[in-house]
Amino acid sequence: MKTLFTPEPAKIRKAVPQTEFETLFEMELSERSTLGHKPGQFVEVSVFGVGEAPISVSSAPAPSMPTFELCVRKVGNVTNALLSMKKGDHVGIRGPFGNGFDVNLFKGKDIIFVAGGIGLVPLRSFIREVLNHREDYNRVFILYGCKRPKDILFEDELMSWGSLEGIDLQTTVDIAGDDWKGNVGVITTLMPRLSLDPPKTEAVIVGPPVMYRFVISELKKRLVSEKNIWVSLERKMKCGVGKCGHCQMNGVYVCSDGPVFNYAALKEIPEAI
Amino acid sequence: MKQYVVEKPGIRKSVEEELKRKKVCAPVKQENSANFSAIHSFEEIVWGPPQTVIPPKKYFLPTSENILSFRKRDGGFEVEALNAAEEIVLFGVHPCDLNAIYLTDRIFAEKNQDENYLAKREKAVLIGVDCLTPCSPEAVCLRMDGLNPGDRFDLFLTDIGDVYFVEAASRKGEEFLRGEGRPASEIDHRKLSSVRKQRDELFDQEEKKLLPDYNDLPGLMKRNYVHAVWEEHGEKCYGCGSCNMVCPTCYCFDVEDYMRVDLENGFRKRFWDGCMLEDFAKVASGENFREERFDRLRHRTNRKLNYLFDKWGQSFCTGCGRCIKACLTHIVSPLEIANEIFQRQSV
Ligand SMILES: Cc1cc2nc3c(=O)[nH]c(=O)nc-3n(C[C@H](O)[C@H](O)[C@H](O)COP(=O)(O)OP(=O)(O)OC[C@H]3O[C@@H](n4cnc5c(N)ncnc54)[C@H](O)[C@@H]3O)c2cc1C
Ligand code: SF4
Ligand code: SF4
Ligand code: FES
Repeated sequence: MKTLFTPEPAKIRKAVPQTEFETLFEMELSERSTLGHKPGQFVEVSVFGVGEAPISVSSAPAPSMPTFELCVRKVGNVTNALLSMKKGDHVGIRGPFGNGFDVNLFKGKDIIFVAGGIGLVPLRSFIREVLNHREDYNRVFILYGCKRPKDILFEDELMSWGSLEGIDLQTTVDIAGDDWKGNVGVITTLMPRLSLDPPKTEAVIVGPPVMYRFVISELKKRLVSEKNIWVSLERKMKCGVGKCGHCQMNGVYVCSDGPVFNYAALKEIPEAI
Repeated sequence: MKQYVVEKPGIRKSVEEELKRKKVCAPVKQENSANFSAIHSFEEIVWGPPQTVIPPKKYFLPTSENILSFRKRDGGFEVEALNAAEEIVLFGVHPCDLNAIYLTDRIFAEKNQDENYLAKREKAVLIGVDCLTPCSPEAVCLRMDGLNPGDRFDLFLTDIGDVYFVEAASRKGEEFLRGEGRPASEIDHRKLSSVRKQRDELFDQEEKKLLPDYNDLPGLMKRNYVHAVWEEHGEKCYGCGSCNMVCPTCYCFDVEDYMRVDLENGFRKRFWDGCMLEDFAKVASGENFREERFDRLRHRTNRKLNYLFDKWGQSFCTGCGRCIKACLTHIVSPLEIANEIFQRQSV
């Protein structure tokens, strides 16, 4: 018997620490040939005996592969337990859940990806999808900010993205020592450098709650229309399927109506940001 | 829907027949109030007031339920979904609770179907009993569209004097009757109308009035999302969550894992949670998306009168009065909040 709450088995194929607090996992499903996710969707990961946590899928959609990637930051029970697991260990997976990004709306457009800290994890799925179908999209800007240089995620991958034609990668940190040669300052300080073509631009923002307001007001100053701004939100989640009530903001369920929202619609939801 | 008239001993006989075969649950006396519980004899049933403290939702969404078991096996885990459901007859359900069950049915059957709720629900026979007097001074069922259950039951009994007027909305309901009674006549229908008319007049006299228009409750909530009432009431809230626990349409839950001491076997459990509790929307980073008590009171009230009303076309407060009784500081009544806002709104 299976119910809405039954996880299916998955195995850890790789566990690669990224920083002191984050590890990138490659998971493999044993009962399905693919997770079949869209960028921006998430799964509920079970560590049996500890609990379940919603985690964004970080790899690009892969229609014929049973593997996918999750990047997890340890903050509590489930995430700490996950980070202590290694290759060959078993977890449970439910999902994918949530709406994800509708990539078709971004085709032929310039895209600005704005990631704060661990917000890069869900965006990486979208960025990789864009790179896999590069000809479908126009210019790509990637702005990434985190607290300190040692918090930078996917460092090698970022470098390789930055070296690609038509991709403008900008990174910044809030605090740095003398050995850091890059930008210091909040993420909005990167925006004036971008040469934008507002009517053709879609912006996608994922980061901590405080970041949204500042980035959105900066984008509006640069004349990016509200309906071209997309965010992915995080809330407490206990089911992922629109029942438990934890993720609700006003009348909207982040787990099933989101987590991806268009800013023009989000403005009508006072509890959103 | 079929209508019958059944002699009172006939109903007793039906209950006693069921008792031989199935678990029958009904309101029974518990100190100064009542509670739904398994009965062993017809005499135990409390008809009418007092109302049960906890609504019958506990039969479909138990206060705590094991939804998964897991066992270490071959380096991995063997996982089994748990979904315990037994055949029960719920006897003596009041109209407000029949309406509430109908509403939570919609929620759990919508899109991602929740088998743990639905399996229990499908195995239950709902026998409602009409309220001819308000069950407490706090009841506002007439105002909140909770007093008329339509066809939201298997069987519904109205005491029309010496006999029950019985409405059967399903085969399950018919089966409960076991052929007792006779089809209702024109005279019986007239009797029913007059009993219900008297009932409505009595409820209209006794229940607190709803000042705004019922159908405008969602609009009223939207226009007054920012209003001093939220803070004034919220300030007095203890954040105890009682109003969530006793509400027949509050269905939020939490989920946790438990490992047995052998560290090999465990289970996953879901249990009641409440949006009035401080940690309900708090995440690991420490961010709390409804930090203040007034945020949470506004959320609860809007769920009842706005968000879910909008979606399902009906108030999710059925006016049972339970939260009003449970709240030690008398701030939570959706009807009174709506009245206060209505009287004080600036627009
Ligand atoms: C759609 C979505 C996508 C996410 N993607 C990622 C990701 O890719 N990588 C990643 O590392 N994290 C991600 N998170 C956050 C992650 O789900 C939480 O860090 C995790 O649930 C915390 O669980 P825990 O058991 O480790 O902590 P707990 O021991 O549960 O943590 C302590 C506190 O965190 C609260 N909590 C419960 N649910 C959440 C939640 N969803 N977010 C934050 N705190 C919560 C608990 O109630 C408790 O108060 C995502 C969250 C959402 C909603
Ligand atoms: S909100 Fe209060 S009065 Fe309304 S149904 Fe719930 S418990 Fe009953
Ligand atoms: S409104 Fe009343 S019953 Fe509800 S949490 Fe606050 S004090 Fe408790
Ligand atoms: S996580 Fe349970 S309703 Fe969204």
